[in-house]
Amino acid sequence: MLINRRSSFSYFPLAVLLFLIGCRFSPEPEPRSNYLVVGIESNPLQLDPRYSTDANGVRIGGLIYNSLLRADERMRLQPELAERWTAPDDRTYLFDLRGDAKFHDGKPLTAEDVRYTYESILNPKSLSPKRGMLKPLDGIDVLGPHRVRFRLSAPHAPFLEQFTIGIVPEGSPGTETNTMPPPGSGPFMLESIDSGEKVTLKANPFYWEGKPSLSGLTFKVVPDALVRVLEFKKGVIGFMQNDIEPDVLPWLERNTQASVAAHQGTTSQYIGINLTHPILRQRKVRQALALAIDRDSIIRHVLKDNATPASGLLSPLNWAFDETVPQWPYNPQKAKRLLDEAGYPDPDGDGPQPRFRISFKTTNIDLRRRIAEAFKEQLAQVGIGLEIRSYEWGTFYNDVKNGNFHLFSLAWVGIVDPDIYFQLFHSDSVPPNGDNRGLYRNPEIDRLLEAGRATVDPARRKTIYHRVQNLLAEDLPYIPLWWWKNVVVQAPHVRGFVPYPDGEFISFKKVSLVSGPPTP
Amino acid sequence: MKRYLLQRLLLLLPTLLGALTLVFFLIHLVPGDPIEVMLGETASAADKEELRRSLGLDRPLLAQYRSFLTGLVTADLGLSLSEQASVSALIRARFPATFQLTFCAMAVALLLSFSLAAMAARHRASWIDRAALLFSLLGLSLPNFWLGPMLMIVFAIQLGWTPVSGRGGLSHLVLPSLTLGLGMAAILTRILRAGLLQTIREDYVRTARAKGLSEARVWLKHTLRNALLPVITIVSLQFGGLLAGSIITETVFSWPGIGRLTVQAIQARDYPLVQGCVLVIATTYLLVNFLTDIFYRLADPRIHYGK
Repeated sequence: MLINRRSSFSYFPLAVLLFLIGCRFSPEPEPRSNYLVVGIESNPLQLDPRYSTDANGVRIGGLIYNSLLRADERMRLQPELAERWTAPDDRTYLFDLRGDAKFHDGKPLTAEDVRYTYESILNPKSLSPKRGMLKPLDGIDVLGPHRVRFRLSAPHAPFLEQFTIGIVPEGSPGTETNTMPPPGSGPFMLESIDSGEKVTLKANPFYWEGKPSLSGLTFKVVPDALVRVLEFKKGVIGFMQNDIEPDVLPWLERNTQASVAAHQGTTSQYIGINLTHPILRQRKVRQALALAIDRDSIIRHVLKDNATPASGLLSPLNWAFDETVPQWPYNPQKAKRLLDEAGYPDPDGDGPQPRFRISFKTTNIDLRRRIAEAFKEQLAQVGIGLEIRSYEWGTFYNDVKNGNFHLFSLAWVGIVDPDIYFQLFHSDSVPPNGDNRGLYRNPEIDRLLEAGRATVDPARRKTIYHRVQNLLAEDLPYIPLWWWKNVVVQAPHVRGFVPYPDGEFISFKKVSLVSGPPTP
Repeated sequence: MKRYLLQRLLLLLPTLLGALTLVFFLIHLVPGDPIEVMLGETASAADKEELRRSLGLDRPLLAQYRSFLTGLVTADLGLSLSEQASVSALIRARFPATFQLTFCAMAVALLLSFSLAAMAARHRASWIDRAALLFSLLGLSLPNFWLGPMLMIVFAIQLGWTPVSGRGGLSHLVLPSLTLGLGMAAILTRILRAGLLQTIREDYVRTARAKGLSEARVWLKHTLRNALLPVITIVSLQFGGLLAGSIITETVFSWPGIGRLTVQAIQARDYPLVQGCVLVIATTYLLVNFLTDIFYRLADPRIHYGK
């Protein structure tokens, strides 16, 4: 032995003690006055608007970066950095930028920055996930320090949505060389990122709309939904939006001074159907499935009224929504009749034998499993045997993407343009080219969706998409379930938050705290 | 012994390589595609293929494995696919949190178990003994995902003594350390108590008493030390496991440690990050086991390694 056995043994506790004393503990965080703490479920993966696709990355990034246009609280695109914008023809967009917008480093925002942002996304080396969405773009011309023109290769009405990408300064490196996002020109600037813990923003004192009332915002990552609620009860978190267990909301209202409000959202939950399945390819079977599901009961008892029954993917807030689209209200008797007509009689009446068995895939999240159990129970009432298979997200999504399912349930988040139907139901959108996972083919739908893309006039587009919605509601290549509401929980001292249908945080620029407790 | 330890140290390398190889192939076998996670649903097939090609994920698995090994040799763990940040930087940012929590949880466990086991063995069949056994039973039965929120409700919400979750000052460590430490203390109390009761009947303990040694000296030098061997095994196993990240406790307490990072990496099929996390976890585990062998020798001079 190199060292004396007895002495080394007795030194061990001392070594541990010294380690613990030497261990660098962070100081207790000081409460920061006029900072609002927002509880979020997961770490934002990317804040740079050229790369961000995760919900928290997009929402927090939306406070740091301005875009040419931005959807308002009614989902209508409004000018933001653009002072004016026109479309001289159906493939050209002309923007006049505000002259007073500056990046957080003090540099003025010009047309060159706009061009650089879009060109850096188009650069294959940038590996930006948004590159594919800019494909219709033929070129960008800088016509002056504050004037920029976008040329498309062909008329493509949904391209308007691409003008909501945040603008970064010219020369900003991509993520491959830079882990800190570039400065933006939005109402808040990035103060710090503590991976897995929190993201802190501070108010931009030179914001062109005026300095926000809040001194800053802290987005605290609390993965466990119950713990987020406890943090709210303790007064650490002052604001939460969505990702709250429906069962907890009544408790929050009873035991805290929280203001809890649910607002119409755009997230659309649906059941996807494999249309190559010999039973499910029959329209009457799909209609029977839609009639056998009691959405109202699930919404009331499982979702605690935090959703509204859906007639399709587009929510009533969307400009192309057709309120006359036929719905499939709960009607088990009619469902049984349709199944009989389709050639699947119940072998033993109300007995345990099903007409046929199919599987339903979902994730292993508790709420999803409870919803699946409700489906199973309701479909059993009309004689359909449903086998629930729940998987971890990666495995589940892989199966859905590869068409390895009978039925599955997912939600579409952030639908702005009705062109989403092209991605989901056009026969060219069969994976890997799109998300037509059920392999739906309908020449009439294909023709309408192509026309909807190429038509710039909103009124004509609206007529086209009304027809699409009606055809799909009849044919049912998917079963619409419900539109999730956005649930906002805020402390009584938080004022001025305006909910956005897609869960955007942009109205934090107008939020103020009134004589509330300082938050850590 | 020196030679033995050197051999053990050298054996760590193939073991580590074996673990990393296993994980490399397993994570590629698991269904799921990192490109889908990175690009989202709106990206075109061509963009997905281009990204796959630029990241080298379209190459044969063995070629990817060779690149991975080359990266290991040059200490380059690559870029995280989901966070687009250096894997080493992400692990460096998270590991101190796990290290801190592990040490504090272990301190709680050792303090509680040594005190309880010693008292229980000293007063065998008394109410103290029964209370220690009850504590042990409860500690083993209560899962962390239940115990954590219960401690939060009592100490953070009702009494207001501690923060609910997150990492910050010393007060933030109290509840997660207790949650992790109580379960460990329960196991250690049982094992140590049994060891102490067995040792206390040994001849050398009787001899020590007959020699006129003080009771404290009999307990510390002759009884406790001889009952330590099984405890060292359990402590080292638990310590290694905790350093590998206590996923549930880190999630419940919003603790930004290596466990949460690993789960996030697996869910996103972030291959480089999963491999980086496994490298750290496996290395830690092997080192702790290596240190355990040294402690065995220190605790029991009868143990001889090699010639």
